Amino acid sequence: MDKRLFSYINWGLLTFMLLLYLLGVGNLYSASGTRVGDGMAFSGFYQRQLIWGMCGLVCMIAAMSFDYRQLRNLAWPFFLVSILLLLLVPVAGKTIYGARRWIPLGFMSIQPSEIAKFAVLVLSARLLARDENPLGWKDFSTVLCVALVPCTLIILQPDLGTTLMLLLILGGMILFRGLRGYVLKTCLLTAPTVAAFMWFAGMHDYQRQRILTFLNPGHDPRGTGYHILQSRIAIGSGRLWGKGFTEGTQSQLRFLPERHSDFAVAVFGEEWGFVGCVTLVTLFCLFLLSIFSTAVQAKDRFGSLLVVGIFFYFFWQIFINIGMVIGLMPVVGIPLPFISYGGSATLLNFTLLGIVLNVSMRRFMFKG
Amino acid sequence: MLKNNNTPPSSAIAENQPRGSVFRAWLKIHVENERYQPPRNGVILLQVLVGMLFFVLVTRLWYLQIHRGDEFARQAQGNRLRQERIFAPRGRILDNNDKVLADNRTAWGLSLVREDCRDIPATLTQISVWSSIPLSQIWEKYQQDRFKVKSFEPLLLLTDINFDLVARIESEIYAWPGLKIVVRTKRNYPEKDLFAHVLGYVAEVNEKEMAADETLAMGDLVGKQGLELELEKQLRGKKGLYDVEVDAHAHTLGKALREEPRSGNEMSLSINLALQRASWEAFGGEAGCAVVMEPDSGKLRAFVTSPAYDNNLFSAGISKRDWDALRTSNRFPLQNRVIQSVYPPGSVWKLLMTALFLERGISPRETVFCPGEVTLGNRVFRCWKHGGHGSVNMESAITNSCDVYFYLMAERLGIDKIEEFAKASGFGRPTGISLPHERSGLVPSREWKWRRFGKTWVRGETYNTSIGQGFTLVTPVQIAVYVSALLNGGDILKPQLLEDDGRVVTGRLPAKAETRNFIVGAMRKTASAGTAHVVYRKDADMGGKTGTAQVVKLKMGAGDRRLRTSEMEYAQRDHAWIATWGSKKGRTYVVVVMVEHGGGGSSVAGPIAKKIYDHIFGPAQDTPARGAQ
Repeated sequence: MDKRLFSYINWGLLTFMLLLYLLGVGNLYSASGTRVGDGMAFSGFYQRQLIWGMCGLVCMIAAMSFDYRQLRNLAWPFFLVSILLLLLVPVAGKTIYGARRWIPLGFMSIQPSEIAKFAVLVLSARLLARDENPLGWKDFSTVLCVALVPCTLIILQPDLGTTLMLLLILGGMILFRGLRGYVLKTCLLTAPTVAAFMWFAGMHDYQRQRILTFLNPGHDPRGTGYHILQSRIAIGSGRLWGKGFTEGTQSQLRFLPERHSDFAVAVFGEEWGFVGCVTLVTLFCLFLLSIFSTAVQAKDRFGSLLVVGIFFYFFWQIFINIGMVIGLMPVVGIPLPFISYGGSATLLNFTLLGIVLNVSMRRFMFKG
Repeated sequence: MLKNNNTPPSSAIAENQPRGSVFRAWLKIHVENERYQPPRNGVILLQVLVGMLFFVLVTRLWYLQIHRGDEFARQAQGNRLRQERIFAPRGRILDNNDKVLADNRTAWGLSLVREDCRDIPATLTQISVWSSIPLSQIWEKYQQDRFKVKSFEPLLLLTDINFDLVARIESEIYAWPGLKIVVRTKRNYPEKDLFAHVLGYVAEVNEKEMAADETLAMGDLVGKQGLELELEKQLRGKKGLYDVEVDAHAHTLGKALREEPRSGNEMSLSINLALQRASWEAFGGEAGCAVVMEPDSGKLRAFVTSPAYDNNLFSAGISKRDWDALRTSNRFPLQNRVIQSVYPPGSVWKLLMTALFLERGISPRETVFCPGEVTLGNRVFRCWKHGGHGSVNMESAITNSCDVYFYLMAERLGIDKIEEFAKASGFGRPTGISLPHERSGLVPSREWKWRRFGKTWVRGETYNTSIGQGFTLVTPVQIAVYVSALLNGGDILKPQLLEDDGRVVTGRLPAKAETRNFIVGAMRKTASAGTAHVVYRKDADMGGKTGTAQVVKLKMGAGDRRLRTSEMEYAQRDHAWIATWGSKKGRTYVVVVMVEHGGGGSSVAGPIAKKIYDHIFGPAQDTPARGAQ
């Protein structure tokens, strides 16, 4: 590999990302603790997260080691494979909690919707990168139609969270790319109609229930409102300085549900307080801005759009997850990058950032 | 495909200075050879989004953690700390000589925590081996209670296990995870059946009681019957408090004492254990009841109802089998006959009728001829003595219990006056004794009959009422209260069960002193030379009146003789009554005995009353009787 590439790496991004990852592991250490008598018992979440992180670093290096422009050529084959996998889910998938999302491979299960997310991201970047002009009806509808195929398959699983995530990422990329005025206006007008249609026809009862509970969490404090109330109590009781590392009563005494995964940031908020939370949010913003800087500095539209897609991938997760934990968003199963425990999510995060770093490294490679 | 529209740029573009961001200046990397320009609006959009993210999240965090932080901190504290109550011992109940009638003792139980138990069928089998209780019964108990407690809470399988078994289980329990020996306080009634209907029993509190009283919690024992129920407030102590730190699954992590428990009050009954036992034994298993009352104070010295039940069964949580056996027994052991059973009073009622006659101006000297029966329309009303009593006056009508005398005198006054007088004398309403579910009995009236049957009152019914038959119903305790009022100067008293209770007057007998003295004198004569002779003794001043209450009206032809008691079906036999008083050395007692389906009052109820007096005054001696009243 060219030595020069190495020096162009977006070191800021790498630094923030590793900082966040380590914060996440530390927080998981505390979240896995449970007070037993006078002592503590720890379950192995933080250790496993460390191992996943190591694997993630390998994936990241792998994602940096080739020219990202190869992805552009692979966009369509990649997309078709992911559609095939999604079609395989209803046939060979296994059902967990009433949803059929996984394909068992014996030693592990893969979630085709995650692969589809990545494939749509790459393909959209390619499609949107066709020219410089703001999108007209033709380009807009092409991208939308292509994305709707996996979206439909995913929503049938059913997996509303991933579908919304996909649409939000796509929407972000389209908005970044820019729309012609009349397209934008039409979209703004039709959006409420689509939302209403989703509410009445596209949602399951438990999903509607979550949104209703979000609007009024006190309504059902033992049922669906429990998560929201307990996480608000956890965060709020941290006050300015927090209760201290591994001292959070809400998490150590197991009042807080899902404290390893979706609600991990509530543990952080309880133990580190407002100061810690603002630090964490600042870190996340700096992290996003680092991705943004790569998007701006990229030498080609495809690379730029790819990075913008990845930017939105992280942006929405951060916004929705933290928003959910502090009661600004309904409870949807979206983890917080680096802070929530999750093996495949960690691998995907590191891989995507590898691609961002890949773009940042190769922005001077456009010599003939 | 490798060739794309991003062909290598040829022209170099100098410095691409990022817009206005200190941060990006820091990140800035030397740029050259760039042709692609990101869309201007898109760049602004991303920056605005990041700024918005920061602003929104930090504002909300400030609101939650700073503005409302104290409130949430309190809620978190409330999540963490629970208060656990400490059991306060229930007050003991003693007799009037401080003999223990109800106390608390430690009981060992065996409980199972489902969450910790590896093999529930094997564990239950082992419990069956230890306790020699059939496995099916233990399974039944397990199935019955398993959903009442959470999986990490102890489920009580054996309640009262003896110490030897505790020791044995203790030595083997290590092999059975999930099993735990628990120490509980159990209410103990050493006298069992003897006081079951006075004391009642305690049992675990139910949801309704908990809703009514916030100091009660699951597993508490509260009074459900008898004095345990009536005296609940005094007997129940005040619980202490622990501060307990718990987790979300209510697992206890530590506790600290906040408030000491205070035990309940000790209560002394007016009832005397020895007299109660003697009275109980006098019944010899017959169904019936007896009350011993002090006429001046209203205190009850004995309160026996037979058969009864072992109230310890209830405090340990009665099994369905035992409960069904008690409930369906044809001898009704759950019935408190002193206050809950109503019977026709039979001739005992003549004590009341006599008072009415005197108060209504009928002269005691006036005589009536008793031919053995009187005819009213086409009905014949018989006297109990087939050949008739001949000429009787008021006193001889009482001592010999002549029915015809009462038929004719009652006829003269009419049912309205009888009703009014009986009600004023304390019948037809509860005596107010401090026990639950007391019944009123019944004083019939024209209005009542119309309401009940839609028929008008007929004269024959006045006849029946006059001798305590027909519709009239009384409880044994009402008779005791009435006889006491005759002796104590006319005060209708509330029968008291506690030694410290004062005298409570609930009404005045509408009878002058002469009237009362006449009846007392007639009772004395009945004891010395009449139907109540069985209680007569020379060493004490005694009085009495017997009664035989028909349960069913037997159809009798003109020539039929009365059947003997032994010839009748048990359930058709008459109830036997005796209402007596006795006075010796200034101590006066009223003793009322009722034997269900016992037959004749003097032959069945009388000997029981005599045995009670033998206990009170000592065995009868041949000293001459002294006049008292």
